[in-house]
Amino acid sequence: MTAVVRTRGLTREYKELTAVDDVTIELEENRIHGLLGRNGAGKTTLMSLLTGQEFATRGEIQVFGQDPVENAAVLSQVSFIRESQRYPEDFQVRHVLGTAPRFLPHWDQAFADRLVADFRLPLKRRIKKLSRGQLSAVGVVIGLAGRAPLTFFDEPYLGLDAVARQLFYDRLLEDYSENPRTIVLSTHLIDEVAQLLEHVIVIDEGRIVVDEEADALRGSATTVVGRRADVDAFVGAREVLGREGIGGLASVTVAGLSPDERRAATAAGLELAPVSLQQLVVRLTGTTDTEFEKSA
Amino acid sequence: MDDSRPIFLQIAEQIENDIIAGELAEETQVPSTNEFAAFHRINPATAGKGVNLLVDAGVLYKKRGIGMFVAEGARARLIDDRRTAFAEQFVAPLLAEAAKLDITPEQLSAMITERSTR
Amino acid sequence: MTADTLHLPATPLPAAPSLGRRLGNVVRLHLANPATIVVIPLSVLAVVFVVMMAIAGMILINAGDSTTVEKVSTGFQYSGAGFYIFVYMLVVAIQAMNATFTYALGLGVTRRDYYLGSALTFVLLSLAFTVFFAVMGAIEDATNGWGLGVRMFTSVYYGDAVATRFVVVLCAFLFFFFAGTVFAAVFVRWKAMGLTLLFLVLALLGVGAAFLVTITRSWDAFWGWVNTTGYVGIALWSLLLTAVMGVAGWALLRRATPRG
Repeated sequence: MTAVVRTRGLTREYKELTAVDDVTIELEENRIHGLLGRNGAGKTTLMSLLTGQEFATRGEIQVFGQDPVENAAVLSQVSFIRESQRYPEDFQVRHVLGTAPRFLPHWDQAFADRLVADFRLPLKRRIKKLSRGQLSAVGVVIGLAGRAPLTFFDEPYLGLDAVARQLFYDRLLEDYSENPRTIVLSTHLIDEVAQLLEHVIVIDEGRIVVDEEADALRGSATTVVGRRADVDAFVGAREVLGREGIGGLASVTVAGLSPDERRAATAAGLELAPVSLQQLVVRLTGTTDTEFEKSA
Repeated sequence: MDDSRPIFLQIAEQIENDIIAGELAEETQVPSTNEFAAFHRINPATAGKGVNLLVDAGVLYKKRGIGMFVAEGARARLIDDRRTAFAEQFVAPLLAEAAKLDITPEQLSAMITERSTR
Repeated sequence: MTADTLHLPATPLPAAPSLGRRLGNVVRLHLANPATIVVIPLSVLAVVFVVMMAIAGMILINAGDSTTVEKVSTGFQYSGAGFYIFVYMLVVAIQAMNATFTYALGLGVTRRDYYLGSALTFVLLSLAFTVFFAVMGAIEDATNGWGLGVRMFTSVYYGDAVATRFVVVLCAFLFFFFAGTVFAAVFVRWKAMGLTLLFLVLALLGVGAAFLVTITRSWDAFWGWVNTTGYVGIALWSLLLTAVMGVAGWALLRRATPRG
């Protein structure tokens, strides 16, 4: 396995905020990575650093083995579609889709045409007249048809409806199967993309809190529900990822359980519920202690 | 796909089920990894992992340049394995619950007979 | 970045396209939609031209026999009606760079390639507009001001000879384009606040310079210098300032980051 991206101690500080804090990661070649986290967690800043658009305060970055900053060889292999990607406002859609291929050597025009039809993009409409969803679709077309060996999608579907989002996931998967490349999908619609991801990175307040294979994360946490006393007795000294309570009932999310432990929990009259990737991320990056009874 | 277990295990299990149900006959070609991925809308690598699990177990085999095929005798072996697992997976919890409710094994087997002849 | 702390196996990375190709792509990006950068300035110039023709026509009709086309021509040669297009190039440069900077970086263009490509675009546009001015000037000369004594492309400020006109007009275009790159870089980096501050500073500098000239009673010397240097001389001196602005634009843009 080859790492396409490596960082060490990567940090970006602003006056009153450390947007990216001591990040050390590796992104392996030809995989779909999920970069997950809340708004403002540092996802966009991290991707901007990896694509040489932001300058690091400290730390090291290597993309395809080289520093990406002002590196034409590296950057010609990279594409980064921002959440609110700006295009020249006076351009028509056809101007954007006509200029992009010049900068993306792996561009597939037939695929681009198909995507334009799929998303019903009006080629002669001006960028400033496009709806939010159409603007996102332009980014999706460039990101997909560009086939850059390292492609970043930052919340690529703002304003896209459920049908269009599914279209994006389907086309991404199809094309990725035939033309493997390294893709980083940054999103907070985690449930929608969970099954597409092979590797998951969760960032919170600039720090990496999860850097794990998607398969390993699945079933890595379980929610135990039952009478408060029983739950507490079962949980004991285990690491608790989240806890909720109402009346005499408690619901506690704990890290992975062995089959024996599961049997023991069932025997103790407790219910076990799987935790989805989205719930896991919420637990890991949100408030961990919500006691409903306090307000009741 | 449920959330509690790795997807590749679930993919492998589904292929097994299809073989057991006879939908994938022995010596016939199974869909490609990419077809599985597209159908289930999952990452092709994950689908590949599920398929490889079955290759390692001898349930599927690879014909170079053509694709994956169901091995001869795969169905009989899978049914055998499932039967072994059946006692642990279904009978043990059944007996445990029955004991909790003071149902004797004799009463239980009478219930099963009654149910299955209904 | 120290090589020994982060060591990667050599990943096969294709070489970047040649510099010429990369810069050419940026030029084409700027010219992809010529509306803002070419069509609008030329249309406004056309309107100004029509207005001047109309004025000249009215003068000739009202004045009757006593006013000849030659007299109109003498008056019009001091007209600076064509000047607007130079100043407009400052706006064009700001618009063009503000519109494409974030987009270009998203497509993997380095800031350096982007700036060099933009500068090349502006030089090419300056040349093209200058040739256009030269052709129009030649027609204006040959037709005695389009038959009405209009002097739009042969204003006295450009000099008499075809060559001096070419030099003065080219220098003027270059000056305003590269002034535009400085404003554009400031805008891309610090948005409207930066531009406001820059205008304030420039206004203060201007007033300060005028004040200095006044208290040292140097206005005579200044106008003397202008007279002896001549329009061509001043145009050539402006190249120095243009070059300084070209470097300043790069110094400002090289640390700019795209903002949503």
